Amino acid sequence: MTLRALIAEDETLARRLLLEYLKPHADIGVVAEADNGLDAARAITELKPDLVFLDIQMPKLTGLEVLELTGRRDGVIFTTAYDQHAMRAFELHAVDYLLKPFTQARFDAALERARKLLGQAQPGLDRLVVPQPLARVLVRDAEREGGMQVLAVDAIDYIEAQADYVAFHSAGREHLKAQRISELEAQLDPARFVRVHRSFIINLAALQGLEKTDSDAYVARMKNGKRIPVSRSGYDKLRSVL
Amino acid sequence: MHPLLAHWRGLAAYLLAAALAGAALAALLAADELAAFGWALAWALPLTTVLAVVALSVYYPCRSQPFGTGRWPRALATRVAAVLLLGGAAVGLAAGWNAVGLPLGRPAGLVAMPAYGWTLFLLAGLGLFTLSVLAHDVLIAVEAAQAAVAREAQARLTARDMELQLLRLQIDPHFLFNSLNSISALTSFDPAAARAMAIDLAGFFRQTLALAGRERIRLEDELGLVEHYLAIEKQRLGDKLRTTVDAPADSLNALLPPLTLQPLAENALKHGLRLRDDGGTLQLQALVRDGWLHLAVRNPVPETPSREAGLGQGLRHLRERLAAQYGGRARVDWGPTPEGFAVEIALPFETTPP
Repeated sequence: MTLRALIAEDETLARRLLLEYLKPHADIGVVAEADNGLDAARAITELKPDLVFLDIQMPKLTGLEVLELTGRRDGVIFTTAYDQHAMRAFELHAVDYLLKPFTQARFDAALERARKLLGQAQPGLDRLVVPQPLARVLVRDAEREGGMQVLAVDAIDYIEAQADYVAFHSAGREHLKAQRISELEAQLDPARFVRVHRSFIINLAALQGLEKTDSDAYVARMKNGKRIPVSRSGYDKLRSVL
Repeated sequence: MHPLLAHWRGLAAYLLAAALAGAALAALLAADELAAFGWALAWALPLTTVLAVVALSVYYPCRSQPFGTGRWPRALATRVAAVLLLGGAAVGLAAGWNAVGLPLGRPAGLVAMPAYGWTLFLLAGLGLFTLSVLAHDVLIAVEAAQAAVAREAQARLTARDMELQLLRLQIDPHFLFNSLNSISALTSFDPAAARAMAIDLAGFFRQTLALAGRERIRLEDELGLVEHYLAIEKQRLGDKLRTTVDAPADSLNALLPPLTLQPLAENALKHGLRLRDDGGTLQLQALVRDGWLHLAVRNPVPETPSREAGLGQGLRHLRERLAAQYGGRARVDWGPTPEGFAVEIALPFETTPP
């Protein structure tokens, strides 16, 4: 079985070195290279590589932010030149990492370890990346084809489920992400985001008020004028937090 | 030594005042018909001058036992004893000097001083010595306060100097280890470039160490340091980093504190060029005009500004450092420009060390 790998490194020479160290490992094929965090996050989301060589210090998003936004928790091999904060965290959570410059032997050892754990989420990573509840989400960029952008959850008015996607409504615009709404609901702060309907999560900060309809049901009127249906259980949830 | 002895003008004014007091005393004695003005002057003028000098001697007991150190009864006793002693000595001296008139054919001395006159003289002497003690205590207190301020300023300066030394010698570990990683990468496919980078890295650190201890260096040396640094970064960043250096011949001899430009180049890369997909051009500019050396570092910035904190901290530090070294005659300004970000520095144009 050939393993698919992503190299996320902002320096050309560092990427080249990883390619060289990967040469003896004929069963690993590099499917993408990213020179910044945002591209790395997109490649992880779209290509779902088996292995990710992830630099900590990258433009746009750090390696840890890439994990935070993609939810990726397995097959990650960190590399760093010197980041005391990250290194302390790795030690604390027993996460393996490569300190630049490193030897082929050290690289092989890290790869061996990663192979054994392939496909299993590393619990250390979960503890390392703990922005629970979620503070930011990685969404498709509405303006650039194939682009990605980071959206702060505070800026979201409401979230709507659409087939295989969720749509984030923020400042009059719609951003899509391939995710199930129930999964997203579990990651958001329940004190600020409420699932008011099978297909809707609303941000309480963007809520104007509740209205009763003729058929004895409720709708949530948002500050931007949008009306969102509220189910019976959604109404109970709203009552309990408001 | 008494502080007045170090100030010739002050001492002269003080003795002149004493002589005038002597003349006034002689006039008073003459008015009371105790002696002719000439004899009275012959007695009073040297006497008041000598006693004025004697009055300065209270400085020493005042200084050896200043008030406010806890043992005030002893300090007070010392002062009272000094005043009494000096008062008695003054009367003795006055009487002795007065007796000089006896061999000159004046039966009562230079001045025919009545008993109440001696009493008055003693009281006046005690009063004046007391005043002298008070004046010296005030002087010593002021001196002590000034010394404390000066000591504090010196301590601050020393602390800042030490901090600067440390900062200068501080090697950015991220830069060092990434450079070593780049060299490691180059060894297999471009050994010559690996060697060149190792030599640039050594040159950069060697020059940093050599220049950091100096107060002023030539702009040419600073630019040499910056070039080593940029050569390494170009190897790391590839064609993302382009540079232009514009320093006319007349600016190269200008003096400036070491590591003024290099940290700015580092900042420009860290917060600007590095974060841009297509990199950009780092511009370094020097210009000598109207007795000033103008320096500018310009760079493009990413569309979404860096979230990293500490962006202005290095610049504020540079501003403080230059202000301390040039006593306010240096300017550091920074801010966004249509092309990105610019830092501009103006220093007095110097080619010989201060």
